[in-house]
Amino acid sequence: MSRYILRRALRSLLTVVIVFVAVFMLLRLMPLSGYFPPEMIKEADEATRMVYLRNQGLLDHPMVQLGRFVGNMFHGDLGRSLTVYPKVPIATLLKEKIPVTAAFGFASMLIGIVFGVGLGLFMVRFKDKAGDKLGTVFILLVRAVPSLIYLFFIQVWISKWFNLPLIFYKDRPISWILPTICLSLSSIAYYALWLRRFMVDEENQDYVKFAQVKGLPKREVLKRHVFKNAAIPLIIYIPYDLLMIIAGSLVIETLYAIPGTGGLLTTAIKSQDNNLVQVIVLMYAILSVIGVFLGDLLVAFVDPRIKLTEGE
Amino acid sequence: MKMKRMLALLLAAAMIFSLAACTSSGTQDQGASAADAQDVLEGKTYVDTYKTYFSSSYASFNYFSTAYATVREIVSNCIDGLVEPDIYGVYVPSLAESWETNDDETVWTFHIRQGLKWVDHTGAETEYDLTAQDFVDGIRYIADPQNDAYSMRVVRNLISGLYDYYWDLDDIDCGDKTDMTREEAAARFDEMVGVKALDDYTVQYTLDSSAPYFLSLIESSMLLLPIEYDYAVEMGDDFGIDNEHMLYCGAYYISQFERDKAITLTANPHYWDKDHVNLATVEYQMISDDTTSVEMFKRGETDYTTVAAEEYLSMQGTEWGDKLIPTDHSFSTNYLWLDFDGENPEFNAFVNNENFRLALMYAMNREAIGALREPVDPSRILRNTINAEGAIFDSNGKDYTDYSPLKEIKEMDYTNPDLAKEYMEKAIAELCDADGNIIGCEPTTVDYLPVCSFAVDGKLPVTICYVGTDDEDEIVMAQLLKAMIEEALGTENVDFHIEAFSGWTYGTVADPLNYDIYFDSLSTNYADPSGILTRLTTDGAENVGCYDVPEYDALIEEALAADTFEDRLQKFAEAEAYLAGKGFVIPFISSLRGYYMSYCVPHTSPLTLYGNDKYKGCQVMTEPITFEEFQALDAQYDIERAEALKAK
Repeated sequence: MSRYILRRALRSLLTVVIVFVAVFMLLRLMPLSGYFPPEMIKEADEATRMVYLRNQGLLDHPMVQLGRFVGNMFHGDLGRSLTVYPKVPIATLLKEKIPVTAAFGFASMLIGIVFGVGLGLFMVRFKDKAGDKLGTVFILLVRAVPSLIYLFFIQVWISKWFNLPLIFYKDRPISWILPTICLSLSSIAYYALWLRRFMVDEENQDYVKFAQVKGLPKREVLKRHVFKNAAIPLIIYIPYDLLMIIAGSLVIETLYAIPGTGGLLTTAIKSQDNNLVQVIVLMYAILSVIGVFLGDLLVAFVDPRIKLTEGE
Repeated sequence: MKMKRMLALLLAAAMIFSLAACTSSGTQDQGASAADAQDVLEGKTYVDTYKTYFSSSYASFNYFSTAYATVREIVSNCIDGLVEPDIYGVYVPSLAESWETNDDETVWTFHIRQGLKWVDHTGAETEYDLTAQDFVDGIRYIADPQNDAYSMRVVRNLISGLYDYYWDLDDIDCGDKTDMTREEAAARFDEMVGVKALDDYTVQYTLDSSAPYFLSLIESSMLLLPIEYDYAVEMGDDFGIDNEHMLYCGAYYISQFERDKAITLTANPHYWDKDHVNLATVEYQMISDDTTSVEMFKRGETDYTTVAAEEYLSMQGTEWGDKLIPTDHSFSTNYLWLDFDGENPEFNAFVNNENFRLALMYAMNREAIGALREPVDPSRILRNTINAEGAIFDSNGKDYTDYSPLKEIKEMDYTNPDLAKEYMEKAIAELCDADGNIIGCEPTTVDYLPVCSFAVDGKLPVTICYVGTDDEDEIVMAQLLKAMIEEALGTENVDFHIEAFSGWTYGTVADPLNYDIYFDSLSTNYADPSGILTRLTTDGAENVGCYDVPEYDALIEEALAADTFEDRLQKFAEAEAYLAGKGFVIPFISSLRGYYMSYCVPHTSPLTLYGNDKYKGCQVMTEPITFEEFQALDAQYDIERAEALKAK
């Protein structure tokens, strides 16, 4: 097992390095004019623009820039934002934004799992009956209707009917309700849909039929066998989802004015904020490989039949 | 309360009627207007907190190095300049108690208020006195290339010696200048640069050229604000990154700052003019979309909201219909750039022909284009001039755009498809042979990549490639332009392509000339036409279309050398009329759009034509102002402003 972990860790490290270097170099292929907001490019002549680029170290050879970035990083300096939040230390930005997004993400993930699994079980329990059909309607609505439509409906109308604030306020917990619900809707639908599908699939397996023929009550079969086996393909993604809650949601954070990380990477790429893009990509790459790795470990832990190494 | 409001509305309506009807009895009107305005405000109650919003992130508060317009609004309330406009736009003392200038307006001397101190983000006084040296140090800060000051062009070219000092330091940084160290070069600031602290409370600017507009530049440019240099140097790159890393000397300080979320301004208890600060607190929330802000306004969660013109129509007949007020003015002009040096040989041949450019100008129905942005009253956003009307006045109060021949351009109705066709036929006669071959033009493939690539055959119809962003509104406007131009000039003569480009437009489209026609905007930033017009010369930074206009360049030179401000404006008017009248650039609408609803009493805060809104003096009511109330107050204000400008 330890050899597996070591080999996997090395492979993960290599993945992170390749992703990071590729993104770092690709960013250096972007046109230099992209480092300037429209106001500045109109106001500044070519020579002044060059002064700015040189001050930021953007005219140095890409390998020099890479070396400088990695060197600073090992000294705990993630650098400063270039264009999105000029000169603001990236560590400060992340420190401000990640906790907000993570809090909402964690709450919505919990709600998503609890209600999604609950809904999935409910739909299986009442398969082809009204409850199942209602659940299917909900899943279809969430997954098929463009999210902006129902998110906007919830923000404007639900807030009006229940007298809830339209946007998020840090010091008013009541304003946290709607964004959390909005964030969890798609996970509820996701977990319900797949759990139902996997459980229905398992129900048709021979071992389930055998258990039922042997006289085990349906509830017992569902709980002890069907649910356990059906949950395995879902469990594998939980560590990944848990770690990636810091990515946030661009639409919901914008709608409710949540000062989180949603859309930060997109904005940084559009504004050619190299430093910010590099740090975020590095962070996401690390979290992704850890998330996938933990998912593998978790699934092996939950289902002893799954072996991670050939020798085991 | 309802009765009073009804009475106020009736009085306002009566006043508007009387103004319209009785043009000969001016004195009587003025009296009636004043009385009506007073009635409107009678019985109103006020609050000392104003809740508003911002729609895009406040990236940094470093007022010297940020390029973001949104920052200006906060800074203009937190850092005072030497002078400020009063509610009529007349410059009055601010941190300077008084000022004088020499005859040719190249030396400006300001006398600073004594006994003022910088305050911190808690509103507490710091140990730093506010002196003339802080204004000198402001220039010292921006003069160092390593501080990345933004928008240096105007100030760097105006203040004597600043240009040379800046580039000397930069040459040293690059290694191009080795005969002195950076410290030695920096030590020459006081002898080289035309800004001096004559004593602790007198600062003097020496300019390279006459600048009768210098006070408006102080209002518009953040680069002329003071800085506590020792503090800024101590902060280094952290200066202005949040509310705790800066000092304040304005009517407010930033007491709370949550990035991308909320900002609270609190009245500065040590402010020199605190008796005229009515609002104790200004609370900002970040709201990214208009719909949410309108909904929050309706629920009383914000005291101000903009309303898109489309929404204006849907709100008519509701309880909010009578509270919609048209936005006042915009000094930003939307125009079409023509590419005079692009790769498309067909367009290149035609665009250098004046008849073709005039054909384009007359083919556009500007009111129809305006209706896309302002369906309620498109005429209010039409603009044929490059500089905005109502932005620049001579010493007699005459609007710059009323100088002939610019006045004729301003008042011209360019919508004339028949005339457009005539001009097009003249252009074809001059540029094509009898078979419709464009003379000197060979078939080729035009490479505007990454935007587009297309083949041209060197024959009529002339291929025109319009490149815009993938913004939905802009695509609709491009489609309308295509329909107008093809209909007026004939599809047998022009083939109008639209390329909607997603991404960084300036860097990919405008700068590398990957377009034939391109849509952009320019703003009048201070009270002189030179702000825009000197950038539009043949060698000017804003001549992205690469035209060659020696006649225009000569007029600009003459304007800059004029003896009086009136002569200067006259020459600039001639130059602008030349450029716009011959279609080298095609201005057609202003950026003005939309409506707003507000709890603020109009015209109670400074009229900042070139800077950003200030809350000093602003009065906020407990109920929103109606359009009728606004009209009554506005009419009275117009009379008072005309008098104030006359007395200036």
